[in-house]
Amino acid sequence: MTLVAERLFMSFGGLLALDGVSLTVPDGGVVGLIGTNGAGKSTVLKAVSGLLRPHRGEIRLRGRPIHHLPAHAVLAAGVAHCPEGRRLFAGMTVEENLRLGGHLRRDRHVAKDMARVYDLFPVLGERRTQRAGLFSGGEQQMLAIGRALMARPALLMFDEPTMGLSPIMIRRILDTIALLRNQGTTILMVEQNALAALMLADHGYVIDLGRTTMSGPGTDLLADPRVRAAYLG
Amino acid sequence: MTSSFVRDRPVTEAPSRREPRPAWRSAPGAALVLLGALSPWASAVIPGGAYPGLATLQFFDAPYLVTGFRLHLLLLGLAALLPRASRAAGAGAAVIALVHIAFLAALGVLSFGGPVTLAGGALLIWLGRREPAPEWKLPSRALAWPILVAAFAALLWAVSAMLTAGGQSRATNPHGGAEFLSFLGFAVGLFGILSAYGVLSWLSALAERHRAFSLTVLLACAMLLPLTEAGTGYWMTVASTIGIYAATAIGLNIVVGLAGLLDLGYVAFLGIGAFTAANLAHVVSFPVAALAGAVVAGLLGVVVGAPTLRVRGDYLAIVTLAFGEIFFRAAQNDIGGLTGGANSIPGIPPITLFGQGFDQPVGGLPAGFLYYALTVLLVAGTMAVLANLKHSRTGRAWLAIREDEDVARAMGVRTGRAKILAFLVGATLAGLAGAVFAHKLGTVGYESFDFSESVTLLAAVILGGMGTVPGALVGASLLFVLPEKLREFSDYRLMLFGLALILIMRFRPKGLVSS
Amino acid sequence: MSTLAQQIVNGLVLGALIGLIALGYTMLYGIVQLINFAHGEVFMVGAFGAHFVSLRLLPADTPWYTALPVMCVTAVAVSVAVAVAVERLAYRPLRGAHKLAPLITALGVSILLQEVVRVFYPGATAPLAFPRAFPDGHLVLGPVTVLWTGVLALAVAPLLAAALHLYVERSRLGRAMRATAQDPETARLMGIDPDRVILATFVLGAALAGVGAVLYGIHYTQIDTAIGFQNGIFAFTAAVLGGIGSIRGAMLGALSIGLVKSLAGQYAWGGAQYDYVWVFALLILVLMFRPQGFLGRPERVRA
Repeated sequence: MTLVAERLFMSFGGLLALDGVSLTVPDGGVVGLIGTNGAGKSTVLKAVSGLLRPHRGEIRLRGRPIHHLPAHAVLAAGVAHCPEGRRLFAGMTVEENLRLGGHLRRDRHVAKDMARVYDLFPVLGERRTQRAGLFSGGEQQMLAIGRALMARPALLMFDEPTMGLSPIMIRRILDTIALLRNQGTTILMVEQNALAALMLADHGYVIDLGRTTMSGPGTDLLADPRVRAAYLG
Repeated sequence: MTSSFVRDRPVTEAPSRREPRPAWRSAPGAALVLLGALSPWASAVIPGGAYPGLATLQFFDAPYLVTGFRLHLLLLGLAALLPRASRAAGAGAAVIALVHIAFLAALGVLSFGGPVTLAGGALLIWLGRREPAPEWKLPSRALAWPILVAAFAALLWAVSAMLTAGGQSRATNPHGGAEFLSFLGFAVGLFGILSAYGVLSWLSALAERHRAFSLTVLLACAMLLPLTEAGTGYWMTVASTIGIYAATAIGLNIVVGLAGLLDLGYVAFLGIGAFTAANLAHVVSFPVAALAGAVVAGLLGVVVGAPTLRVRGDYLAIVTLAFGEIFFRAAQNDIGGLTGGANSIPGIPPITLFGQGFDQPVGGLPAGFLYYALTVLLVAGTMAVLANLKHSRTGRAWLAIREDEDVARAMGVRTGRAKILAFLVGATLAGLAGAVFAHKLGTVGYESFDFSESVTLLAAVILGGMGTVPGALVGASLLFVLPEKLREFSDYRLMLFGLALILIMRFRPKGLVSS
Repeated sequence: MSTLAQQIVNGLVLGALIGLIALGYTMLYGIVQLINFAHGEVFMVGAFGAHFVSLRLLPADTPWYTALPVMCVTAVAVSVAVAVAVERLAYRPLRGAHKLAPLITALGVSILLQEVVRVFYPGATAPLAFPRAFPDGHLVLGPVTVLWTGVLALAVAPLLAAALHLYVERSRLGRAMRATAQDPETARLMGIDPDRVILATFVLGAALAGVGAVLYGIHYTQIDTAIGFQNGIFAFTAAVLGGIGSIRGAMLGALSIGLVKSLAGQYAWGGAQYDYVWVFALLILVLMFRPQGFLGRPERVRA
């Protein structure tokens, strides 16, 4: 197992955001989290990446507890978090953004990985000296994915990667995630677009009011009438 | 991981509770404190005469005479046996021990009882129970009134004891500073114990329910201060000076505590009120001069507040700082011949009403009583303004602005008007206090209004608890009593003050009286 | 005419010195939105550190080319040590506290440092003569004369600012600093430890202030415990004027402040006694009408 999260509890100002969420991400697998707005999906990712600290519960990455680590140490441990809304450094160039993605890397393969990102998204290579803030939403999402890849993570987490994109761009981003999956990357993704998430995911969790209410293989969840009624309309 | 479709059982757990610590765990600490209290403290007779008359350190002369701080320690040590009280009692004992150890060390005398008491206090803090205070039911009116009267009488006694603890000055009592600090430690322990048992919150809830009655009694108690040990001309003067700063701090509390607008140049309004009154002192009577001081300060408050329409947060703090500095420089250079510059304005006559000079004794009461009474009314008045505004429509608008200005605006609060009003009210109150200040001191110079005074006032507000009604009074009393009491440390005054600011922000950022 | 030129040069020298303090303000505010009032005091303790080493440790006949570097190194070391201590002990525990807490702590630190020096540094209750660790005499350019120390300040300050600019733009740490300034949360997701970035910012700012302190001392030949606060406020004004977060802006703002003070002291109503007033009036106007400063962007751009 790449990631095991057990019974995470967290509350903000008396409101329970996570009420005992547990989930596992197998090596090389893609796990999707679906649920309504405010169900606690993003909170799970933030708890994993160390932006938020769960009040109780345990998170282990390849057996090693990481729930007590600050965010920068979680990245060093091998979890990259591609946050909601992309959160690029708008004032910096494409190349600087990628370098920041590989900030902790001291090895010699940074340049090679950067070339790999440019292969994956040629548009980034063409505009590598332009400021990230000038890019379209889809291009920004590409850069955000590329930036996360630069850390060579053991686990890659996406929070709403298709939010606010055009249908063509959504296709393009989902294809990229599928490609990464086929290359063996372990992925945990949060997606409001439940159909897309469950199509891609080997395994899915439904989160509601801070709890995991259902879980199972993506195709099983897709077939479940309750999921269809609640999330696929 | 099951591959089949399962519905996870919802996981809920009761919050885990640590086992409450058994009461006997405070016994060793309490025993050490008691032992410390009954041990000899000083290894030799202290140079400079007997250690404070009330607190004998001369164990060998009078071993069974347990008075002063040793009595305090004895009381705290006994109280520490109560399960909830041990932490607060331990803290009080530790403070007392530290004060005396340091004091004796400075005199080159070894302390025996000190380390024992300190160890006991530390043990109590360490092993003591920390749990929320219990809540008590409020009694009926028939019982409530006598209780309130008794509580305020106790408060009056505490204030009088605090004020006079350690004596007037170095001249009359060379150990006054240590004695005062020691007493402060006892007060900390006492109030801590009362708050651990929920007595303080119970009393304040009671006072809140019988508000009019409480205020009347409180005012009466304040007026009775001259009849206590503090009833000398000296203490009346000290108390009225504190009162003036307290009133100013309460005004600042409106700006900072309620509206959340950080003002780093607030003392300028006190200065404007003082200089206005000083210039008019020989022309008009005091009420007119005070009114003029308040109005001029209020108008300038609007001027200083105007930038709030465009500037926020830290930048606003800097704007107010700049205004404060401009005022200070202008006053220093005797702008328009209004401030006297380096010569200050001397010879301001004392307030006279119906032929009675306020600096003269009246009836059997000490000189300075009239100024004291005036500042009590001033403080009561500003507190009433604060309390009424806090619960008014304007007050709610301020609180909304303090929390989030954009949201407040979206909710329909006229933020610009409300913010300028905050500055107007705060400045007016400070101007009024300034007028009293000028007459009471008889001379006004620019150096009373420098940046460190603004910081002190701000610290009083924060120390007391931002936005609370009694907070600024408590804070101002502490901050302006301490330098008066610790004259032997006057060189270190500002240094300790800076340190205190840092420590308060670190350990008690919401102040002593949190809302 | 010659008075005007002379006042302009005097203003620029003062501005260059203030600029070295302003760089620390602009970096720190850009990254943690903290008005570090204590930064002026970091400058002040640097000056006293240099004063101490020169009077107590260096032989009296040390030539200036030895004394000046030693004093600079000492001042930088003292300033950095104090800044790091302040950051660790006073500010770090307050991360995440409510907004006013760090500002008030900064005031407390500022008062504490001033008083510690005033009470414990021998003779610091009155202004102290600063050692002359640079050739006397002046450069004469037509109607204008500039002390060599002023020439030194005018040369060194922009050079250091440029070096800092390059460092922040090109280095790995500089990139981490900019990232933290733009979006602290995402910077953490990049593996950037905010505590290290903030500490580094304190160190860089303090080092520049330390150099500035020595240059200030040899130029004005006198130091006291109040130089930190006064010049610190000017430096903060300069940082805002130039656009907070902008290194070039801070230098530009500082030069403007120097000019305003010197020219207003000469020509404006009230004369030299009111030169401070004009600087503060300028500060208020800038904060009100162009809070983003000369070079700052009106709003932080985010995708």
